Amino acid sequence: MTDPPDKKPGLYTGTFSAGLWRENPVFRLLLGMCPTLAVTAAVKPALTMGLSVIFVLLCSNIVVSLIRKLLKPHLRILMFTLTISTFVTIADLFLKAFLPRMSETLGPYVPLIIVNCIIICRSESCASRNGLAVSVIDAMGMGAGFTLTLCVLAAVREVLASGRVFEVRVLPETFVPWNAMGMPVGAFITLGLLLGLVNVVTGKRA
Amino acid sequence: MDTLNILLVGFISIVIINNLVLTKFLGICPFLGVSARIDMAFGMGLAVTFVVTLSGTLTWLIDHLFLIPLGLEVTRYVCFILVIAGAVQLVEMYVRKFFGGLYESFGIFLPLITTNCAILGLCLFINLWGIDNLLEAAVLSFGAGVGFTMAICIMAGIRENLNLADVPECLKGAPITLITAGLLTLAFMGFAGMIK
Amino acid sequence: MHKIGHFLRQSWLLMVCSFCFGILIALAGAAWSPRIEQNRIDKLNRLMGGLLPGAARFESAAQVEVESARGKLLESDVYRAVDPEGETDGWVFNAVGSGFADKIELVVAVGPDLETIKGFDCLASNETPGFGDRIKNAYFREQFEGAPAGGLTLAKTGDAHSIDDKIVAITGATVSSRAVVDIINMYIGPVTKHIKSME
Repeated sequence: MTDPPDKKPGLYTGTFSAGLWRENPVFRLLLGMCPTLAVTAAVKPALTMGLSVIFVLLCSNIVVSLIRKLLKPHLRILMFTLTISTFVTIADLFLKAFLPRMSETLGPYVPLIIVNCIIICRSESCASRNGLAVSVIDAMGMGAGFTLTLCVLAAVREVLASGRVFEVRVLPETFVPWNAMGMPVGAFITLGLLLGLVNVVTGKRA
Repeated sequence: MDTLNILLVGFISIVIINNLVLTKFLGICPFLGVSARIDMAFGMGLAVTFVVTLSGTLTWLIDHLFLIPLGLEVTRYVCFILVIAGAVQLVEMYVRKFFGGLYESFGIFLPLITTNCAILGLCLFINLWGIDNLLEAAVLSFGAGVGFTMAICIMAGIRENLNLADVPECLKGAPITLITAGLLTLAFMGFAGMIK
Repeated sequence: MHKIGHFLRQSWLLMVCSFCFGILIALAGAAWSPRIEQNRIDKLNRLMGGLLPGAARFESAAQVEVESARGKLLESDVYRAVDPEGETDGWVFNAVGSGFADKIELVVAVGPDLETIKGFDCLASNETPGFGDRIKNAYFREQFEGAPAGGLTLAKTGDAHSIDDKIVAITGATVSSRAVVDIINMYIGPVTKHIKSME
């Protein structure tokens, strides 16, 4: 049973752009911090993680949206968790089979997508209440926002830590790499400064 | 004596050297969210220690008694997260019924802990490191909880003092906490290589 | 009976979904696990082939038990490298130990006479990028090619190009360098002894 098509075309683009900027999961909602810090040492793992999250978010939003009328209220978190963990297992198997080097670099952070607050929050607040189309757009928007954030952070860290972006040299050989950027220190400080920058841009008063 | 040695070394290593929050990026969300005051931070830390010790041992048991012998490793993640969710539910009911006072101080954090990456992360790390006896798994889980509590209390102490400092407007809240965490990580790096 | 009915009514969706998801996971696992296994074998072969380029294939030869410094028993898989004529080109085994940050897993190759090391490669390590990570670089690894099998010592300064039992550490990565030397020393004795007793 699907909802009648929405009369306002703005709803779809609005939902998508909300995920990208206005309600960007990392910079504005402060969700999904753990993978943000862990996999952003280089752009390639960050992109892989972002795409995996988009996959899981999309699949779980679709499933939850399809069964939303049948959910019992006190069992719904369990249902969400079950759905998400299934799709994360599938994504992990896929990575191990087709992208073994990325799978090794990402390591245990792929199964940690299960407890990534973004996915369960979107299931709870959006997919379980809206039709299929809106859930899909929301998943794409949030996923795109998350991937974009990861890549920006990873690009900063990778350029400063090794002079490369996506393993392509962009800074001259004479640049002395800032090794600290590849370590946990660099992760925390870069994210903190980027968040501060976002606050300045959006004129937010904490 | 040797076993005790291994356990002690493992405990110290996971509390200080391989601290889950500062080196493995686990448990950042509560670390940022709950570390505003020391009493709340300590409560959260206690709750996490309680749950993580229980989950670590339970998941190790399930992994070695059911999943590996029956060749069901593909279902590992699903099983682990369900065990953790179940353990948290049980702990919450138990604490609310028998330790009312305790529930007042840290019971509200318990439902939040299910999505705490530290718990699932630790269970997966124990699996990754190939820990092959129950006692070592239990000690490491307990150590992980202690390490988390220590990190969050240090952060809470620093943040309470930061409230009195002149932080720029755009950096107040999460950004300055993250930068502080980064410096803490740098400090803890000094411990690396302590244990051969 | 009434309770069971109530229970079923509440949880039928959960059970149906669990069943469907279980099938989904099983299908994905069955479809991809041969490929995952193949990836693992390919990686090992690639590393071993890099160390002993003359070998045509590698045969699993033995499992040797090695006692670590803390008394823990570790197992090492030993492979025989066979060249196109069917002669033994050398032996390769894996070695594990603790490094600066985390575990270091190495793949070590020794010559057919079991007297010289042919080199080593890193299977997995989590050392500090830019410092300990340099154990993967040619500068450090080349010092092991032709070194005597056993009794390696770590020196802070010295001639990195002279092939002998003194290994010059990487500046700023003494602990990681020492870890590699210790791991190789720890494994090479028992492994070579076992191989000699096999023949």
